[in-house]
Amino acid sequence: MRKLDTEILVIGGGATGTGIIRDLAMRGFKAVLVEKRDFSHGTTGRYHGLLHSGGRYAVKDPQAAKECIEENIILRRIMPHCLEDTGGFFVTTPWDDPTFAPKFEAGCKAAGIPIEEISISQMLREEPLLNPNITRCFRVPDGSADSFMASEMNVKAAQQYGAVIKNYHEVTRLIREGDRVVGAVCHDLVNDEDVAIHADMVINASGAWAGQIAATIGLEIHVVPGKGTMVAINHRVINTVVNRCKMPDDGDIIVPIHTVAVIGTTDEKVADPEHFAIEPWEVQLMLDEGEKLIPGLKEMRMVRAWAGVRPLYQETVVADTRDITRAYTLLDHEKRDGVAGFISMIGGKWTTYRQMAEVVVNRVCDKLGTERECRTHLEPLPGAEEHGYHHLGARLAKVEKNAAFNDLICECELATRADIEWAINEAHAKTLDDIRRDVRLGMGPCQGGFCSYRAAAILHNIRRHPIEQTNVALRDFLQERWKGLLPILWGKQLRQERLDELIYLSIFNADHLPGEKASRLGPSMYEEKDELPLADHETSA
Amino acid sequence: MSRELDLLVIGAGVAGLTAAWQLSKSGQKTRVIAKGWGATHWHTGCVDVLGYYPLDSETPVASPREGLERLTADNPQHPYALAGIEQLEAVLTAFQELCAGAGYPLYGSLDKNWLLPTAVGALRPTCLAPETMIAGDTASKEPMLLVGFRRLPDFFANVVAENLTAQGIPATDLTLTPKPLEKERVMNSVLLARHFEKPEFRAEIAKEVRKHLGQARRVGFPAVLGHSPQQAMTVKQDLEKQIGCPVFEIPTAPPSVPGIRLHTIFMAAIRQAGGRVYDGQEALRADSEGSRITAVYTESAARERPHRAQNYLLATGGILGGGITTDHLGQTREVVFGLPLNAPDGRENWFKRRFLDAEGHPIYQSGVPVSNRFQPVNGGAEPIYENLFAAGGTLAHCEPIRERSLEGVALATGFKAAKVISEE
Repeated sequence: MRKLDTEILVIGGGATGTGIIRDLAMRGFKAVLVEKRDFSHGTTGRYHGLLHSGGRYAVKDPQAAKECIEENIILRRIMPHCLEDTGGFFVTTPWDDPTFAPKFEAGCKAAGIPIEEISISQMLREEPLLNPNITRCFRVPDGSADSFMASEMNVKAAQQYGAVIKNYHEVTRLIREGDRVVGAVCHDLVNDEDVAIHADMVINASGAWAGQIAATIGLEIHVVPGKGTMVAINHRVINTVVNRCKMPDDGDIIVPIHTVAVIGTTDEKVADPEHFAIEPWEVQLMLDEGEKLIPGLKEMRMVRAWAGVRPLYQETVVADTRDITRAYTLLDHEKRDGVAGFISMIGGKWTTYRQMAEVVVNRVCDKLGTERECRTHLEPLPGAEEHGYHHLGARLAKVEKNAAFNDLICECELATRADIEWAINEAHAKTLDDIRRDVRLGMGPCQGGFCSYRAAAILHNIRRHPIEQTNVALRDFLQERWKGLLPILWGKQLRQERLDELIYLSIFNADHLPGEKASRLGPSMYEEKDELPLADHETSA
Repeated sequence: MSRELDLLVIGAGVAGLTAAWQLSKSGQKTRVIAKGWGATHWHTGCVDVLGYYPLDSETPVASPREGLERLTADNPQHPYALAGIEQLEAVLTAFQELCAGAGYPLYGSLDKNWLLPTAVGALRPTCLAPETMIAGDTASKEPMLLVGFRRLPDFFANVVAENLTAQGIPATDLTLTPKPLEKERVMNSVLLARHFEKPEFRAEIAKEVRKHLGQARRVGFPAVLGHSPQQAMTVKQDLEKQIGCPVFEIPTAPPSVPGIRLHTIFMAAIRQAGGRVYDGQEALRADSEGSRITAVYTESAARERPHRAQNYLLATGGILGGGITTDHLGQTREVVFGLPLNAPDGRENWFKRRFLDAEGHPIYQSGVPVSNRFQPVNGGAEPIYENLFAAGGTLAHCEPIRERSLEGVALATGFKAAKVISEE
């Protein structure tokens, strides 16, 4: 077995893990991060992309609200290029209890969230598609976040400080020696081999998977995977985050992010973070609730649906997952279970990832008896200085400035050849889906119809894998796109998919290219059970 | 508009254009109205008749004629079964004559599918192919050189070459960066085809290709060798002369230059026979009286515009063509006449789990059921309107993309419907 030694091993390449590895590296620790797939492959890459102002928790969870606004201000300073400064509205619709608004306003003020009530006519000037029957509208500093780019930039910063990053390394078990965790055995999915990584301390930042990691040495962590389903509208129908002004509930938010607007979300307890279904009622509920904010929304073209699992930690079993605190929990397993060298960080939300990392690394310093100051809130992430906030027109401006019209590989999302080469050469992309997370390849209306084969060729020409492997990579990506289309395919998007079939089956005959039908790096489909009951129940490899 | 129309065709894909060509040729006053152009502009510019049968077969159909015998026996409601193989054969011959007359011959027969390289390097079964593609035939193992252009992202020559080599067809590759292309702001297959029409551009390409020919005995390009049918032949012959070996084209993703050439040939034939084709005319709805359609309405500036004819041919395509729409409630709808459809019930039955599923997704088989006279029928198999016919992708009981039968079904059914109408 291959072996590796380090001071600190971080498990999980989502927002939490990548935040932690940056903090560790900045404080001078020798650290390794392992992620079983691509960065942001789990929950981080499957949320609606909200940068919380804290307003959402102003009434229900004042502690979470306070954490959010503090971090909101910091993130705007250190990583504006990963954020869009959309601003946010909390609106009272005819379906919402009007007595909530005063509580909301008071809660925001108590938590230190800047809040301003605006007139309905002003709201409609800014967002003309919103329901004119809305009676109150509050403006708060919500925003939207590119969680893929954020993880990538945290990783990049960590590497600049000497951290070692390994994606597609899945932890199969922790290594325990007596009352101490001394590392983990990982499976390298790309090279199909095992690697043992020894460390003085292991940090479990695997979110909804934290229980599974701990279970490999017999520790019990009760993480409730709370599934949230989201639906993306094919257009950027609003430019401001719009929340319902009521207690957090299903379908209460629409987030404008990049080229789309995302309706979210449901909250359903599921048994397993890996296997869960997008159920038809969830999609219907998103449409029904979205319609209350934007009349006519149901007739709009939907481009995709997805689901992520919130990692919600509770020491006791509960029924309704909305009642679990959103605030994060640090588990020091030496104190809790008598097992040294092992810390778990669970819960929280994207907006507070940096603070969570700070808390973890503070604890690491305590444990190792060293005093090192956190600087993650002071130092900008790579690329932050030049850019300012991301905005919708930024990519077009870049393409026009470089006269790169013809190097557009993904025309929908304006991803150029150089962007894709960057993702492969610099951003650890192994699969076409990894490139997608890095540069939004295939995320637009055609869902990969015109860019998948181009990007596959670019990947091939850089990696120089046998051609059969490239063919499988192409088929894997087509299947990955299909996975998120299935729940929302009707109308114009269904027509689009038929065009994609014309291209890949009839013109290219890509289903008969040499090579396997699918690879182990391909997508795992959402659970068949309870899902859109599909006509053919073949299992997906 | 002095004389009433004999036939109004709705849709300008291969099916609609075939019927309009046949009926205007036989002296019927024919008009085609279309929202936009059809599958000619998207597909390969070949005539696919039957490429895979059974659909999950790993090996392509060798003889379309034999495949069709099995297909029509297994599925007597398939449009091919309704039209009859002799009608298919007749229209293939007629279409070959038409194209040859336009100086752009198509080769092949029902007895043997070609296996031609695709733009990603797979082997594609097709029945008739234009002369510009024939030298790519993979029945021959003669080594080939594939030529791409850095500025055309729809054709990576080395990917094609490596895949062909992996399948036993020795191939090398060359990617060119000719100066005139580097100056263009935007490039795609249609624009590149314009460049190939210039002799000086061809000379530069031929010079480079000659240098890198190596062992290759034939040279493949993306399908961009000239825009019009005549130009394509000129360009091909000129390149062959300069390079000194056979040259062939490989169809790209849309827009399809060879597909547009077939469209050009159709349009000229219809115009010459006195038929008229109008695009930008989306059919919105129809009027009927008893068992007859009396008008089809299109959108125009001030009000809906009626189109009246003796007979009407619905050739608006299926879900891809836009003739059939679907919604989030799981409903399917034929857009012009609201005809009854054969469609799977409920969205839960629309799809399979694999995008590339060999049998295809049931929703795409939604279509208008017709009689063997190609008249849309109700549940009792009775024609709904005596003067309404349907052809092409809008028909039920076929899966043209999985079958690789897109043009074949369109030609056969457009031809047969025209025949029935002309005998009215």
